[in-house]
Amino acid sequence: MNTRTISWTLIGRFTPLFKIFIFSTTLLTSSQIFAKEDVNTELVELKKQLKQLKEQQLQLEEKLEDIENTQSKAQAFPVVQSTVASNNDLLKIGLSGLFSSGYSSVNDEALESLQAGGHDPNRNGFNVQNVELSVISTVDPYFDAQANIIFLIDQEGETVVELEEAFFTSRALSAGLQVKGGQYYTEFGRFNPQHPHQWSFVDQPIVISRLFGGDGLRSQGARVAWLMPTDWYSEIYFGAQNANGETVTSFLFEEGEDIAGHILGEKRARSFNDALLSFRWLNSFDFSDNSSLNFGISGLSGPNSSGTNNDTSIYGVDAYFKWQPDYVQRGYPFVSWHTEWLTRRYEAGENIEREILKDTGFFSQVLWGFQTGWELGLRFEKSDSNGDDIFDPFRNDRERISTNLTWRLSEYSKLRLQYNRDWADHLEENTADSLILQMEFSLGSHMAHKF
Amino acid sequence: MRLIVKVVLFIGIVCSSSVSATVKIVTTTQDLASIARSVGGEYVEVKSLTLGTRDPHFAEAKPSMIRKVYRADLLLLIGADMEIGWLPALLRSARNRDVQAGANGYLDLSTSVNLLGKSEQSVDRSMGDVHAKGNPHYWLDPNNGIKISRLIAERLITLDPEHQQEYQQQQKIFENKLALKILDWQKELLPLSDQPVVAYHKSLIYLANAFNFKIVAEVEPKPGIAPSAKHLNKLVSLIEKQKIKILMTEPYYERRSSKYLNEKTNIQIAVLPQSVGAMPEMLNYIDLFDGIVASLKQAGDF
Repeated sequence: MNTRTISWTLIGRFTPLFKIFIFSTTLLTSSQIFAKEDVNTELVELKKQLKQLKEQQLQLEEKLEDIENTQSKAQAFPVVQSTVASNNDLLKIGLSGLFSSGYSSVNDEALESLQAGGHDPNRNGFNVQNVELSVISTVDPYFDAQANIIFLIDQEGETVVELEEAFFTSRALSAGLQVKGGQYYTEFGRFNPQHPHQWSFVDQPIVISRLFGGDGLRSQGARVAWLMPTDWYSEIYFGAQNANGETVTSFLFEEGEDIAGHILGEKRARSFNDALLSFRWLNSFDFSDNSSLNFGISGLSGPNSSGTNNDTSIYGVDAYFKWQPDYVQRGYPFVSWHTEWLTRRYEAGENIEREILKDTGFFSQVLWGFQTGWELGLRFEKSDSNGDDIFDPFRNDRERISTNLTWRLSEYSKLRLQYNRDWADHLEENTADSLILQMEFSLGSHMAHKF
Repeated sequence: MRLIVKVVLFIGIVCSSSVSATVKIVTTTQDLASIARSVGGEYVEVKSLTLGTRDPHFAEAKPSMIRKVYRADLLLLIGADMEIGWLPALLRSARNRDVQAGANGYLDLSTSVNLLGKSEQSVDRSMGDVHAKGNPHYWLDPNNGIKISRLIAERLITLDPEHQQEYQQQQKIFENKLALKILDWQKELLPLSDQPVVAYHKSLIYLANAFNFKIVAEVEPKPGIAPSAKHLNKLVSLIEKQKIKILMTEPYYERRSSKYLNEKTNIQIAVLPQSVGAMPEMLNYIDLFDGIVASLKQAGDF
């Protein structure tokens, strides 16, 4: 089972990089800069001279304070923590709604294969892309927990409810360790764990839909993350999740589904070896106060159900760069760049029909926040596979260019207009043009500003 | 496998070499960092998570911050929802029990002052960015700087009782120096007493309180909402009617609306550094108010 050792080979493969990182640690440790204020000498003198003035000042001030503080005097100088948790802090509840209206040069049937994401606008007309209820809080001194429940309306007009995520994370482990468990998005790359309202475009990248399915890769399991004691941010994640279910499309998935003509059989995990194993190594570097770069590599390995002993492995590389000038109003202006490259090796079929499917894809997107509240986005994507079944919309060559304009009216609402140009051989005219207007609102607790 | 072991050992050595006896303080803003340095002196190491040139409300939880909070012994924050967008997420990733809310290493400085602008009636977001817990820009009243320094000293003594005397002494020195400067600043800003002014954002009420001027209107129609042409024109007539001479804005706010008002009414724009580090020469909390006073005197021509 070579693929089981993927994590170790990944580290092995990146050995030179690893060494460079370790070397730079030593450099960084020796350059700690802490400003210090040199006040002692001059002030001992000042103190004498100013004693009288000071006494007057203090008398007046104390009087003032007495009046001001009559209600809160008791907790004016608390020795132990004194913040009173309001109801808000005990349970943070938020509801976000994501709606869109889109028109495309192709019909709904073709759109379904072009916009394969479960939360993508994929109908000519109005779409309810995602209504998400999230609850988050601290459980006790040992755990934090959160749950995200999703409501959406599919192409047939049916309401769908999903338990998108429900997980706990540890608070109290030492040595930089953190455990997470429950139902959660696999921490693979930067895009996969993001929720639709955090996306910079109205739809998900093609390669994500192909390798992780319409809803992204999420399942039940647990992972350990280790914040490494380096001077730059470096974190390693190891996880194991169930490999079956409708959101684990590249692995055991569901009986009866087909991949490149191979019908998936029933296969359940019999041992821990049949779990989906995941690995991620994320690093972050601040080049200056104005620019930072995240760089990650990720790997997945697990069984698939296209045959008795078939495995799938997926690797990915992701980078995110963001620049902001010194003076920033409400987070603007900024320039950010996000790129991911993913590749999948899928052992499909049995005996005479056995073949290795290879699927690769990448997307690269630039976002320019040119004025407070306004963002301009440009994304390029390309995905292809081995074999030349040009009529399989999930494995043929595809390219897409998207551009959009986002207006955030406040921290709690946004409007976004996006244009997509698709190239795909399975379409009648080989191309498609789509225009989508999206609106988002968010209610309740304040959304996190994530880097 | 052997490589991994080597790497782990190496990292261990690197880290153990950087252990020191000082109290490691992480602050959410440069202002708190400056006061903490004055109080803690050589017994503390202080790092601020945000730059003085940026609005701390809109910071992002960057991975590099996770490292800083992970290593901290004491976290100082402004509180009153100032850091609501990023600090809770940061604390969830930081894995540091010592600085979680409720621990001795977590100090919300809004508990040291009387917050202004608490909402008496119920608020909703149609009113813009209203902070129901009170206006969080309280460090802009230098009298609050004294209260902040006292609370920091108190907490440092709890965490590091060995240096109790030094902390008390350094706090006193800082307090005396600041108290004297406050008298100076008040004298210098006397011409501003009872004068009406316009502010860009609802962030200067503590400054107005300390130096006794009156903010009669904001350039933003509601906190955090961009001004419309209609609102600006209303301001033009208000400025003319009340003969308002000064418009105060922070360096990071857009200047177009302020310039428009300046062209229409000849109101003078005072760009106020709102935080230590907002301008390169503002190195500490006292420089900050020197800068504010200088900017106001220049704009008011007194």
